[in-house]
Amino acid sequence: MADQLLNVSALSAGTEDKPILHGVDLAVGAGECHVLMGPNGAGKSTLGHVIMGDPAYAVTGGSITFDGADVTELTSDKRSLAGIFLSYQAPVEVPGVPLYSFLRTICQMRPELKTTARKFRQRVGEIADQLELDQSFLMRELNVGFSGGEKKKIEMLQLLLLQPKLAILDETDSGLDVDALGIVSRGIQAYREQVGGALIVITHNTRILERLSVDRTHVMVHGHMVAEGDASLIADIDANGFERFERALGERDEACVDCPGCPKAGDAE
Amino acid sequence: MSDERREERTRTQVADVNRSLYDFTKSEEGYERYDDGLTPDIVRAISAKKDEPAWMLEMRLAALDEYHRRPMAPNWGPSIAGLDLDHISTYVSPRTKQAKSWDDVPEDIKDTFERLGIPEAERESLAGVGAQYDSEIVYHNMREDVAKQGVIYTTIEDALHDPAWEPVVHEYFGTLIPPTDHKFAALHYAVWSGGSFVYVPAGVTLDYPLQSYFRLNAAGAGQFEHTLIIVEPGADLHFIEGCSAPKYYEANLHAGAVELFVKDGARLRYSTIENWSKNMYNLNTKRSRVGADAKMEWVSGSFGSHVSYLYPTTILAGDRGSCEFTGITFAGATQDLDTGCKVIMNGADTTATVDTKSISKDGGVNTFRSSVVVGRRADRARCSVSCQSLMLDDISRSDTIPAMDVRNATAQVGHEATIGRISDDTILYLMSRGCSEAEARTLVVNGFANPVSKELPLEYAVEMNNLIKLEMEGAIG
Amino acid sequence: MAEKNLTAAAGAGALALERVNAAPAQTWNRLRTNDVTLTVPARGRAGDVYFSLPRLFEGVECGMGPEVTAWVESQAADARYVEVPRGERRAEPIVVSVASGAGEVADTGVMVREGAEVTIVVAASAGEKDAEAEGDATAADPAAAPATSASLLRVIAEAGARVTIHEYLCPGADAQHLESVGIRAGRDARVEVRQYALGGGTVALGLAADLAGDRARFDLTQRYHAAGTEVLDVNEVVRMRGRNTRSELAYSGVLEDAAKKSLRTTIDLVHGARSAQGNEAETVLVLGDDVTNKTLPVILCDEDDVAGNHGATIGSVSPEQLAFLASRGLSRADAEELFSRAVFEDALMSAPCPEARAVVRGDSPLESSEEA
Repeated sequence: MADQLLNVSALSAGTEDKPILHGVDLAVGAGECHVLMGPNGAGKSTLGHVIMGDPAYAVTGGSITFDGADVTELTSDKRSLAGIFLSYQAPVEVPGVPLYSFLRTICQMRPELKTTARKFRQRVGEIADQLELDQSFLMRELNVGFSGGEKKKIEMLQLLLLQPKLAILDETDSGLDVDALGIVSRGIQAYREQVGGALIVITHNTRILERLSVDRTHVMVHGHMVAEGDASLIADIDANGFERFERALGERDEACVDCPGCPKAGDAE
Repeated sequence: MSDERREERTRTQVADVNRSLYDFTKSEEGYERYDDGLTPDIVRAISAKKDEPAWMLEMRLAALDEYHRRPMAPNWGPSIAGLDLDHISTYVSPRTKQAKSWDDVPEDIKDTFERLGIPEAERESLAGVGAQYDSEIVYHNMREDVAKQGVIYTTIEDALHDPAWEPVVHEYFGTLIPPTDHKFAALHYAVWSGGSFVYVPAGVTLDYPLQSYFRLNAAGAGQFEHTLIIVEPGADLHFIEGCSAPKYYEANLHAGAVELFVKDGARLRYSTIENWSKNMYNLNTKRSRVGADAKMEWVSGSFGSHVSYLYPTTILAGDRGSCEFTGITFAGATQDLDTGCKVIMNGADTTATVDTKSISKDGGVNTFRSSVVVGRRADRARCSVSCQSLMLDDISRSDTIPAMDVRNATAQVGHEATIGRISDDTILYLMSRGCSEAEARTLVVNGFANPVSKELPLEYAVEMNNLIKLEMEGAIG
Repeated sequence: MAEKNLTAAAGAGALALERVNAAPAQTWNRLRTNDVTLTVPARGRAGDVYFSLPRLFEGVECGMGPEVTAWVESQAADARYVEVPRGERRAEPIVVSVASGAGEVADTGVMVREGAEVTIVVAASAGEKDAEAEGDATAADPAAAPATSASLLRVIAEAGARVTIHEYLCPGADAQHLESVGIRAGRDARVEVRQYALGGGTVALGLAADLAGDRARFDLTQRYHAAGTEVLDVNEVVRMRGRNTRSELAYSGVLEDAAKKSLRTTIDLVHGARSAQGNEAETVLVLGDDVTNKTLPVILCDEDDVAGNHGATIGSVSPEQLAFLASRGLSRADAEELFSRAVFEDALMSAPCPEARAVVRGDSPLESSEEA
């Protein structure tokens, strides 16, 4: 599967005291748009964070390759520089750092984005306008005292600035009002059109997907990848929920010890 | 109700109801009372009466020197100008021998402790009890099964007379709080009398707490008990201390010292309900040294005394040691209570949590004073301090003076403090559900104090809630 | 009189100022956090006649304390008095510029009349090396005072006045700067202060704000950076006297290497200040293994119908922040550098005038082309 941009293979991971992901597989080709769905607590956000390399989670089995290289052992910053972007569900507040300083820094880190201050300001200005973000935000401390919607727009601003090869949007739509939702989905579209990057959208709100042409849909339940299909799966879940996937998993659970690297398997030994 | 009537009722209730539980005196007739003031002769007399080893007398005399050498007034803290050591008797003792059974305790003293509920508590929920009346312990007893485990619970005096324990006392006594620590520590070491010596052998867990109760009956006297507790590695102890005194118009002084040694992997919980009368100067020093993987827990309720200086100190000396301090201070009329705690973090991966509440009313003054010092070696130390103060009227005062000194780049220290009053909305809401205003306020204050009372054994939590209720009834017309 | 403090420890022509920046409520002396002692040069000015401020400024409490006020008054060549007439919106800022290299000392009094508006800028820089004539002479004497600049600023804001104060402080590496501010705010007055302490040998900064009038409002933002063996000593006091007064104090800073910082803040809720609210918060990033960070955040409360809040967070970059910043491509070292640089960038972005910008330029790790 060397032609895949992202290849998650038999991935098991969790926190120190709790296994969360059990032998998850996921392949995303360059420029593709994937949707990851599942009930609350399914492990969708965890998968996003593990792909990003969040040190809060430990990988206990399996591998992640990105752009032809095994990134399983890479720290998060290296993966970011390699072209992975994760939009946080709840972006972290960073007091003391003006948004402008932060944006300038993360762009200057990347040879392909390095530019003069003037050109950079111009670029930031254009994107901010596109996202209907007031430029005075640039002077404020990163994410401090911002509303939920403002924080999400600032995540979009970074997405458009950094132009990653793969963007994982973790519940980017949650907590947004209709207007903000519209602006954010326009931002996602802009990323698709201007950058042509691949996308993994983690959501349980199908509204944000309306403007996107979805290539593949994945369903997760209790840390397992339980179903995969084309865009039509979204409508199916919309109508019928996750119940049948949960039932199916219950039957499969007996066989859990078989999945390689699964923390449960370790328990059984 | 008019303000005038309210005021009248407030006064009556404070005088009549509030203190009755604790405010009764017993005759001092026939007691041994040393002269007021502080001289080498008095110190020698106390030492001779106790038939102490020579090193103890030397320590007392050196401490007396230190006391006289030290200047009085610091640039902070409540005034202790009303305290005149020339008019305080440092040693008052009932002419009785220490008893092992309440039946052997003289009737008037027994009556005192009966009223305070000590024998009842002993029967129901304690592993051992010590009761001090003025300068001497009058009762000491411990359950047999606890004694069999090798636990020692006695007075320092008795430990000094026991050849097996005298070297242990010598090794530890005065090492955590040296006589040079401050002026009143020096005073304490010059004239200390009574208190407790507790030794818990390695690995022993006491299922029930030990308790010492301190009662100062004599007017114009001082109480200077010394508590020395050694919890050996892996052992576990809960120690409770209670104190009260009747009200006099002459100043009384309490300058005790508490030295706690919590060895590696051990745990010690030290709970105090202090309800000294409001003529008491409570200048008490408490300190704990905590080893690796050990845990120190302080639960402290301060209700009484005229002036208090009280800052239990925890030194987290070993790696991964931890401490929790939970305290409440209630300052009413004529009270100026300067309380808080100190934490010194020297070990790596140590943790400390401080949670304090204070309530000020009727012109009472509360000062929360703390210090957190994180040393260079305390890698990854974590400390959080939370301090909440409630003002119940506009004639009272509440100050918060927390100091932090952090010298390690991997440490995390968090601090928060809030001062305010009970919101009118809260009172209105409760009143709309049928509470009177007084009930509503008591309810809110009890809720405010709840984090502390829930840390206490049930009987003591009840006592604390009663104290709050009594204080509140005094406040609301 | 300042002369009485002349001690043996201070060399000829030097003066030890004791109990400077003293917190109104003291803590244990053994913590050595209650105040600071500074050695300053003392030029004899006996017989000189110079301009002094109107007497009413004597009643304005200044943050560093009376010793510093007396010393500045004895050293400043002239006091500068500025009055902003009633209702006037003064367009150009009042700029106080001092250089530690030249040992400059300024004594400024600003009277902002009812409803007037003004911006005041204090820029304390290292200044030109050439001007350091005195510094050379004293270099041989270890007991002598370091090159010292100072600014004493007293502001009376009458009813409804609006005052913005920007302070940019960065004396030379072996020099010190004393910044003492006193503010009295009348009814409905609004005072906003932005302070940048950007390093230099020693920065000692004290501010006292007296919110005397009802509904007066005081907002203070302080950013600081100290590295090497730099010393920052701060004492800020807000007396909340008027009803419905508000104060918001926000501090954030980065300490590296063996920097030493003491921050004393006091919110004093005075009896009678009904419905007053005072909030104070500090975030300290400790990035050096030999840093000493002392904090004494005091709330004094003599009134029940008030709210006082304080919060402090002291430590390194949190794991959550690190993970978030890493997801945007920043390693721990990158993240720490970002926090450090952000102090200077924020200072630059907020600088109201060239004099302030020049202070940041003087000593910052910024690429000079960045904001050209």
